[in-house]
Amino acid sequence: MKAFTALTAAELRLLSRDPASLFFMVAFPLMLLVLKRGDGGAVPGYLAMIAAIGGMGALPGLLASYRERKVLKRLATTPISPILLLGAQLVSQVAAGLAGSALLVVVTVAVFGARAPGDVLMLTAAFLLCSVMACALGFVIAAVVRNTRGASLIGMLVMFPMIFLSGAAVPRKALPGSLRQIGDFLPLTPAVEALGGAWSGTAVPFPLLILAGIIVAATATGAALFRWE
Amino acid sequence: MEAIEVTDLRKSYGDTRAVDGVTFTVRAGETFGIIGHNGAGKTTTVECLIGLRRADAGTVRVLGEDPARRRRALAHRLGVQLQDSSLPERIKVAEALRMFGAFYRDASDWRRVMERWGLRPLARKAFGDLSGGQRQRLMLALALVGNPEMVVLDELTTGLDPIARRETWRLIGDLKAAGTTVVLVSHYFDEIEALCDRVAVLARGRVAATGTTGELVARTGTASLEEAYLALEGADR
Ligand SMILES: Nc1ncnc2c1ncn2[C@@H]1O[C@H](COP(=O)(O)OP(=O)(O)OP(=O)(O)O)[C@@H](O)[C@H]1O
Ligand SMILES: [Mg+2]
Repeated sequence: MKAFTALTAAELRLLSRDPASLFFMVAFPLMLLVLKRGDGGAVPGYLAMIAAIGGMGALPGLLASYRERKVLKRLATTPISPILLLGAQLVSQVAAGLAGSALLVVVTVAVFGARAPGDVLMLTAAFLLCSVMACALGFVIAAVVRNTRGASLIGMLVMFPMIFLSGAAVPRKALPGSLRQIGDFLPLTPAVEALGGAWSGTAVPFPLLILAGIIVAATATGAALFRWE
Repeated sequence: MEAIEVTDLRKSYGDTRAVDGVTFTVRAGETFGIIGHNGAGKTTTVECLIGLRRADAGTVRVLGEDPARRRRALAHRLGVQLQDSSLPERIKVAEALRMFGAFYRDASDWRRVMERWGLRPLARKAFGDLSGGQRQRLMLALALVGNPEMVVLDELTTGLDPIARRETWRLIGDLKAAGTTVVLVSHYFDEIEALCDRVAVLARGRVAATGTTGELVARTGTASLEEAYLALEGADR
């Protein structure tokens, strides 16, 4: 536990020193909110976006660079298990996303006077699932694509269309029918639905179940394919 | 007691036979050197000792354990410096030492390790901003922060300036005095002579000879370890 805490603390500190992560997980969603004039209805989508940026935008490149630069190899000679390292990465990405999200929600309500989220507990749970799912998908990308640049690039290529087609960046109602259909099959779509439900205070158990299923499947796939070297 | 027993170790990468029947033992408390040409199989041997690689054949016992099976249990008792590894670019020297210290059951005080290895002035510097020799020094300090019974150092002083090298020798001397078993890979004869109780000469994945410097010199009828090495390498070629 001491080892895990130390690893997670170090990873969080590193994340807080990364200007790109800070910008995309904290400043960027706030900017979008300002552009939307504090429209509370857009916020659940932005929360999904924050999770996607951390898990799929940042995590694959980070993991691949740890592998390529033999950081993982050095850690493998210590008593910590490699699983612990992945766990610390996950916890720090989720925690950073949660902090960015909390700030966004507080600003939405306190500064723009939007209605407070209907079910804060459910919203938190939905965000956690959404963030863990994005990290699990990022883990699969880092397992399949071996070099750092490739993993970052593929992470972005998966993340951006997903953000636009799942309703995270723009409401799906605004999309043409064919694009909307693609969105039906993207894992971020149930995430947006779950967050949206919790935001308005209606229970949406089905999307949450789907998210949990994706987490299990992606983690199993990643674990089967991931190589430490 | 033998701290390390390696018997007929073999390891190939595809068609490359990196280690092709290596046998040696290291006694507890001994400082043991491994020397050999580039690609001789030194790093591969060392990585089998610390459980990073699984041998194709042969047996390896380290502190009474099989490193391939008991890597994590052994890791508490082993300090390792790899020939080629790094840390996250933005981690600071003090943070790295503190974090590694937290990994071990019976760690030394990381601040004292930082002090002893002359890293205090660099405490707040990021790994990515360190010079090559400074990184090397940090990696050595990280190998020792867990207060290990045995250390395995691959290319101990490569990249260190002459003063840092002598300083490192002195610190290895302290480890010896404290009874720590040391395995070190080196390309420097002066270093081997100054530090090691015994040496193994590796050539093309095999042990060309093992013994004290004096024994190797006597066996080859030469005048120095360097000449003995060249004679052993040449004879094997
Ligand atoms: N990961 C790998 N994949 C394929 N071949 C490898 C790998 N690692 C080492 N080899 C090969 O195995 C042989 C032994 O390599 P090793 O790194 O053990 O040598 P070494 O004695 O440590 O050399 P050096 O003094 O250059 O560090 C070399 O021919 C090398 O090319
Ligand atoms: Mg080597």
